[in-house]
Parts: sequence; structure tokens; C-alpha cells
Amino acid sequence: MSQLEVKNISKAFGGVKAIDNFSFAVGQHDIVGIIGPNGAGKTTAFNLLTGVYPLDSGQVLLNGTDISKLPQHEIARAGMARTFQNIRLFRGLSVLENVMTAADPYSPYNLLDVLFYSSRKRHNEEAARKQGSEYLKIVGLEGYENERPESLPYGLQRKLEIARALATNPKVLLLDEPAAGLNPSEVREFIELVKRLHKQFDFSIIIIEHRLEVIMELSSQIFVLNFGKLLASGTPSEVVGNKAVTEAYLGEEDESCLI
Amino acid sequence: MEYILSTLTFTGISLIGVLGVYLVTGLTGLFSFGQAAFLAIGAYVSAVLVKNFAVSLPLAAIIAMLTGLLAGLVVGVPTVRLRRDYISLVTFGFGEAIIATLNNSTNITGGATGLSGVPQYTNFWVVLVTVIICLAIVIGYKHSKYGRQCLALRSDELAAKAMGINVERLKLITFLIASVMTSFAGVLYVFYTSYVEPGAFGWVVSAEWTIIVFVGGINSLTGAVAASILLTGLPEMLRFASEWRIIIYCVIVLLIINFRPTGIFGENELSLRRIKQFIRKGAKAA
Repeated sequence: MSQLEVKNISKAFGGVKAIDNFSFAVGQHDIVGIIGPNGAGKTTAFNLLTGVYPLDSGQVLLNGTDISKLPQHEIARAGMARTFQNIRLFRGLSVLENVMTAADPYSPYNLLDVLFYSSRKRHNEEAARKQGSEYLKIVGLEGYENERPESLPYGLQRKLEIARALATNPKVLLLDEPAAGLNPSEVREFIELVKRLHKQFDFSIIIIEHRLEVIMELSSQIFVLNFGKLLASGTPSEVVGNKAVTEAYLGEEDESCLI
Repeated sequence: MEYILSTLTFTGISLIGVLGVYLVTGLTGLFSFGQAAFLAIGAYVSAVLVKNFAVSLPLAAIIAMLTGLLAGLVVGVPTVRLRRDYISLVTFGFGEAIIATLNNSTNITGGATGLSGVPQYTNFWVVLVTVIICLAIVIGYKHSKYGRQCLALRSDELAAKAMGINVERLKLITFLIASVMTSFAGVLYVFYTSYVEPGAFGWVVSAEWTIIVFVGGINSLTGAVAASILLTGLPEMLRFASEWRIIIYCVIVLLIINFRPTGIFGENELSLRRIKQFIRKGAKAA
């Protein structure tokens, strides 16, 4: 059974069909890529999967259950975690707290524990702190716990976004242009990080990315979006050889637009 | 001495209101311009119960807080779904509606002439203990999963939802805690002054509390406490120059907004560790 099955989802904004009858599936413990020229609807697809916008039609099945009607936070709790193309970390919280916050909805203490400073609160806070540091360590942000996220360099902010998504304990991890703005050595490091995470955890990963080396090396399947429609799909080598894909990219975009 | 104690008592009562605003505005980023109405609810409900129905004070206080909770639910449940600017409008309307109701139900509340002859049960020490308890609650709340999630949703609601945070529920919980706390401050208020009138709880008071939180630094609890002692104590201290009071008050607020737009303490908390760091830095510079 597929971990995530997206069936014929559509979304129109006014007259523009941002996503038009898009279907794809992600196997258990798999990595897939979504590519497409700018404005093809890739981020909109992520926003639809995570419930930022309601679907016009279609279904999103996570391990066989339809999650598309749930409110956004419940979709996240069901196991859809994501990072953002334009980094959206929580200002006003430290790096560690950013990660802890993602696990907070599941922390098993309540308001009474807070009001009476109970030991249950203390233990759980302690555990959350430890767990948060653990996630920071996994992505390589050890030692930055008490920094402010906005003071981190760009590449580290991207890593923090991933650590925060990990802390939600996802079943499917959606990475929206995670390598944008990284230099070549950081891109290399990022690819290794994703491989490591995939080995260590039992989730599937969907990556939107313009850097072809990232997509080609990581994904087992690639879905190409153009004008909100599925243009082609297949293994990396199949997609690269696909004439329609090349046209969609090179027919109207130059290299600088692909970043 | 008497005078200083009474100034401190009023400062303490409004400090509780400010703590409520700190939870709602400082932590959660919502603007409530009806917070003072909860002070009115607490004051009137408990005073009427004790005076007209001979209910014992503790029971009256509990009923007053429950009424505050109920009012908080009535305002909160529909508004937490709204955009932030609408929340300010709705709470503003709610506050003024409460005042209007108090003004017009003359046979119960005494209308605009107010309710007098309430026995004086509270004193400075009761207020002080309450302030300490409220402070402990707010500190505990801020340093819990609730406080963290509030700060997260204040910073980025979309990202907060994407992390599984139930934004609406958290806003409501925070708002309700503030409502109950402020209602209790109202109980303390009426049994201290032994007199209430609706005019004392208008939006001006709510706005003043919001100003205090901003002057102290939006994310800083110690800042809110310091600013509230400064800004509620100050008008009292300046009473001798009564014509100049409002002007001096405004000038101070303007100066702070101009030269320290993040408030006196900004995002920081005042703690022993920070003071030590500061002194060490100063020593190094010298």
C-alpha cells in the first residue's frame, strides 16, 4: 500500500487553475521529487496536501485514510510535516524552543500541571528539551540551542526547519526547495543529510527542488508539474529523457529562473 | 504611609490586569481593548452578591470569576477564528457593551452613580499575595508548552498550524486565563475601594494596560511589571502637579516609543544572570 496517495486534486484561484487534476502516489519509506518550471504549482500542491487551502476536489489518503477534510493542524498531527520555501521559523523563540514547539502539541501534561508547577510538567519539559537537542544534533545544529533563529546563517536556518519538521514525528516529510540558496558544498551536505534521515527514520519524503542534482540523486520517482498539470512522471533517467519536460523547461525559462 | 499603601494597592490591582494583557497581547499577539470589562464584571458581580444577596465573600469571588470565564467564552469562542484586527474590534465592542449595560441597569448596579457601601474586605497584603500568585501563574505559563506555542503562533500562524498547533484553542485558553485573572482583580478592587462606577472600566483603561505592556517590551514579563509600576505609580506621584500629569505621562510614553521602540526591556527578561553579564561588560569597558 502506498504511504501517501493523492487522487485527482484540483484547486483554482479565481479563473486560474493552480492545480488541475493532479494525482501521484508515494510508496512506503520512499523518496520522490516534484519538479516543474516556476509557477507550475509545486508549492500550491504542498499547501493543498498540508491543508493550508481546502481542496476544490480530490482526495489525499495518508496510509489509506482521507485527511483532506481535516483542519490544518490535524493534518499535521496525522503525520504530514513540512518545511517552507521562504523560511518560516518562529521568532521570539530560541533555536531549541523552535524544535520543542513542534513536539509540544503531544506533550502529555495539562494546564493544571502548569498552574501548580507539578513534577509531571517538569519531567515532560526536561524530556522535551532532551528530545529537542537530539533533533538538533541529527541535523548538525549542536551548540546552537540558545541562539535566536534569525541570527543563524541561511544554511543553518534551513537545517533548523528540517529539525523542527522532524520533531512533529512525521509519516511524510515535505521539503519545499530545501536547497535553495545553498552553496555547492552545502548542497552536497544537504543530500547526505536527507539520505541519513531517510535511513534513520521510517518516513517518506517528498522534495520540491530546482537543483537537479538533489532530485536526481535522492528520488526514486519524479513527478513533473507544468501549469498545474502532471506533465510526466517516472524514474530520474526516464524524466530527463522526456522531450515534453525539456520543452517545458527550456522552451520558456532560462537558467537563472530555475534557481 | 496610608497613602503610599493605597497607591501600591491600586498599582497591584492594575498589575494583575496588565499581566492579563501580557498573556493576550505579549504572548499571543492579540489586541484586546475590552480587558477592563472583566475588571468590571468581577467587581460588580461580587459586590452585588455580597451587598444585595448576603453571599459570603469567597463564594462571591468564585462566582465572579466563573462569570468572567463565561463572558470570556462568549467573546472568545467566536472571535479566536477571526483575523487579529477584528479581535480588537470585537473586544472593544464587548467592553463598551458591558459598560453600557452597567450604566443602564440602574436598579441592580446603581447606574452611572455607581454602587457604594460595599464593605472593605481587602487590603494591600491580600493584593500583594494575589499579585505574586498571578505572577507565578504567568511565569509558569510562559515557560511551558502553552507559552511556547503562543509565541510560535504570534510569530507565524501558518507555520504554527503546519506544526500541528491548534491555534484557535490556544488563543482561547490564553484569553480565558486572562479573563479569570482580571475578574478576580475586579473583586479585589471593589472590596478595597468599597465603591464602583462603570466609568472606571472603559476602553481607556484597557488601552492603558496595552500601552504598559508595550512600554515594558512586548515579549518581556519583567518589562511589563516594571512599566506597570512606573506608569501606574507615576500618575499618583505626579499628583502634586496635577495639570501637568497627563502631559508628563504622555511625554514619557512618547520618549520610550521613539528611542526604544521595542520597549524598555525589548525581548529580554531581567534576571540576575543578565545583570551580572551587564556589570561584567561594564567592568571590561572601564
